[in-house]
Amino acid sequence: MTRGVLLFAFNNDKVDYYAMAIATAKRANKFLNLPVTVVTDKTTDLSNYTYQFDNVIIVEADRNNLNASNEVWINKGRFQAYSLSPYDETLLLDTDYLINSDTLLKPFDLYDDFMCHNRTSFLMNTLHGQELISEHTYPTLWATVIYFKKTEKAKQIFECMEMVQKNYSHYTQLYNMTVGNYRNDFSLTIALRIVCGQTEDHIHYIPWNLVHVGKNTIVHKDTDTSYTVIYDNWQRGKIRKEYCTVSDMDFHMMNKENFMELVNE
Amino acid sequence: MDTKQLITEAKARFNHNSAKIYLKDKYESKLSIAYQGGLWVANIELISFLKASTQDQIVVLDMYSNPIKVNRIELLTKLEKTYHYVMDQWHIEWASLEKKR
Repeated sequence: MTRGVLLFAFNNDKVDYYAMAIATAKRANKFLNLPVTVVTDKTTDLSNYTYQFDNVIIVEADRNNLNASNEVWINKGRFQAYSLSPYDETLLLDTDYLINSDTLLKPFDLYDDFMCHNRTSFLMNTLHGQELISEHTYPTLWATVIYFKKTEKAKQIFECMEMVQKNYSHYTQLYNMTVGNYRNDFSLTIALRIVCGQTEDHIHYIPWNLVHVGKNTIVHKDTDTSYTVIYDNWQRGKIRKEYCTVSDMDFHMMNKENFMELVNE
Repeated sequence: MDTKQLITEAKARFNHNSAKIYLKDKYESKLSIAYQGGLWVANIELISFLKASTQDQIVVLDMYSNPIKVNRIELLTKLEKTYHYVMDQWHIEWASLEKKR
């Protein structure tokens, strides 16, 4: 039974996702002792990088998506993870997920064939609630960390994600989604619901929170696995700077520049 | 980091509420264990129930509501070991963060 990590990294004009993937791969090697395969496109000049991935898979990138800042955001095609992964058991991660512990090895011990996060918390922002894909619908499931085995059920879920991606405008209307750009989190939420017969099966959920660090939260590195997190807390029209120290805990960094600062230090 | 930012951040206060939530997020993930074909949380309710029961083989609902037939003593031993190890670490880190201002 082979195990490994799979990352999707497509560079755009602003962000070097391949460099982020290398940083994440190094930490996956160190903390999880797992090989890492990266999926990228032919525009990435591999001669600029020295890190040796277990495999580098070149695909045709779908550049037909923009992020909130109207920049090209190549996040489509994540459904290919099932067919592209060379491993029997795969951890599919976003490149901005900062691994600081061996917690991600736990899903390999659990007995299900597909797992993702259904609950999140924001470091320092304790009032942030759970996101819904639209008002009065379902809580968002997160594609940031997905664990899957090569089984028929997992295959169906990824095929369904492909179907949702290819008919995204239909599903946007169907679920009355206000966010116009394509998000893997939303296609995962819809796909898993469809495959589970529109029921909520908790067996597919990783039984702890996905921890986000928001864009307005700044993280400083203290050691390789401990950090000081600084946050502007607005109270009665004034900013109060607050901080917290964290260690040995994985988290998802939404601020890409801050992520690169941490891994380059 | 420039001097202005250094001064601003030097005035930052430690947020104890966020620290407590961070500790909960961190250590709750460590309390989940897969054992004897089920997924379990090493919490006081389950440990107390297993301790209070007398049968060697017992059926317990796991975290995903699957009825799993388990060896009570083996599961109890595993859960107690996990609970004490994780809670000790949780307490040490909480005590150190409690002192911060």
